[in-house]
Amino acid sequence: MAKLDVEITVNGARHKLEVGSQERLLDTLREQLKMTGTKEGCSVGECGACTVIVDDQAVNSCLVLTAQVDGSEIITVEGLESKSGLHPLQKAFIEKQAIQCGFCTPGMLMSALALLNTNPTPTKEEIKTALEGNLCRCTGYQQIIDAVEMAAEEWGV
Amino acid sequence: MVEYQLLRAHSLEEVLEILTEKKKVQILAGGTDLMVDLHQQDPKFENIDYLLDITDVAELKGIKLGPEEGEIGALTTHAELLSSPEIKEKLPFIGAAASSIGSTQIRNRATIGGNLVNAAACADSFSPLIALGAELVLRNKGGARRVLLEDFVEWPNQTVLKDNEVLEKIVFKMPQGEYHSSYQKIGRRNAVSISRLSLTLLAEVENEAIKNIQVVSGAATPAPVPFREVNKYLTAKTFAEIDPAEAGEIAADEMVGITGERWSTPYKRPALSKLVERAVKDLLEEAGYNG
Ligand SMILES: Cc1cc2nc3c(=O)[nH]c(=O)nc-3n(C[C@H](O)[C@H](O)[C@H](O)COP(=O)(O)OP(=O)(O)OC[C@H]3O[C@@H](n4cnc5c(N)ncnc54)[C@H](O)[C@@H]3O)c2cc1C
Ligand code: FES
Ligand code: FES
Repeated sequence: MAKLDVEITVNGARHKLEVGSQERLLDTLREQLKMTGTKEGCSVGECGACTVIVDDQAVNSCLVLTAQVDGSEIITVEGLESKSGLHPLQKAFIEKQAIQCGFCTPGMLMSALALLNTNPTPTKEEIKTALEGNLCRCTGYQQIIDAVEMAAEEWGV
Repeated sequence: MVEYQLLRAHSLEEVLEILTEKKKVQILAGGTDLMVDLHQQDPKFENIDYLLDITDVAELKGIKLGPEEGEIGALTTHAELLSSPEIKEKLPFIGAAASSIGSTQIRNRATIGGNLVNAAACADSFSPLIALGAELVLRNKGGARRVLLEDFVEWPNQTVLKDNEVLEKIVFKMPQGEYHSSYQKIGRRNAVSISRLSLTLLAEVENEAIKNIQVVSGAATPAPVPFREVNKYLTAKTFAEIDPAEAGEIAADEMVGITGERWSTPYKRPALSKLVERAVKDLLEEAGYNG
């Protein structure tokens, strides 16, 4: 079946790619671009492990075909760390022990980043709403919410 | 795996062209229903040859609320609805329904048109739009037709949309004068299905009395329907004459009349009764009436 040409920007770098009709954004990131930070959990939009940011919005990359986001700017968990070190969100997740097995963490970080990018001073309720599509089987969520609150405080200044 | 070729349309004309020329085409919007069905190899989609992505079609997007009439483009996402200041001010029950759907990630992609065309029995966009008396504009290459939303769904997951048609927009008359509304929902989509109930109440009021009212069920009945008996009970009553608990009982009886006694009835009956009671109390409170 004919391949489709797409151009996407991932974590600031442009990629010209050929993608299959059935290729999900999740597949392109993990298999073509070898960015395996984004995880596949349920594959049906329930768990949020595959969350990435597309044009400033958190989306489930298991439910989006790559060809649908031709021309978009995408941010994945690999985009957080910079030359100056870990991102405040990453530091806060470590500090608050918001990571146990770590499988949900990339998705949690992306949902939290999408929130803080548009709303740098969220309430607890707003944090919960932003994270309601991300399941965690280990932590019980409280540490994760604390970490996002801490990152907001430190990053906001 | 279902094999298909993906096509992308960039204008409404292109959509209609492709729907006319090609056979076995399935429209793809936010994909939050369709991508799940494809992943789970739903036999309904076994025979498709093409997926037609319409997410880039600007003509299908946007919210326009005039003084008399309003319209919502089929591709408008639930996130856009819940963050629209116009919706919040004029049709808050639509925003409330949108904010109750899925999760942030789902709402960012999922569209109101996809919710209606997918037509799940528990789809949350129906009751607020039926309360408005909304019509759907279904378009093919030859032109457009309007279908009352109440008549759109034949049975769960089956609508009157034809293969060569696209849902373009939802149109409705704006409520007039002083009006109040309430959207109520209990339970989540994935929780056991008996715990799912929702409803919309929309009332035009005048001189401390109800002029027009629509109470519409969400997941209480197989297809969302107006509760005609409750509407009859409440219409033309003054606020002082209304007993919210009685309205709840009438609605519950009406639901059981539609669905028959089922294993879930002992749960659903009192739950619906309370939801309607709460919606009517909200209405009276919002209208500034305190008994
Ligand atoms: C985790 C999760 C949670 C969810 N929670 C809820 C919830 O709480 N409440 C709820 O109501 N729904 C829920 N849903 C279902 C879904 O998100 C909604 O029904 C959504 O609005 C569908 O829109 P879409 O744009 O994603 O549709 P798509 O999946 O793209 O399409 C759905 C169907 O509509 C057709 N279609 C789409 N647009 C058009 C158009 N303009 N013209 C003609 N045909 C069209 C498609 O061909 C397909 O058959 C949930 C889904 C998931 C995965
Ligand atoms: S893998 Fe995408 S939501 Fe679970
Ligand atoms: S840390 Fe294990 S799932 Fe969240």
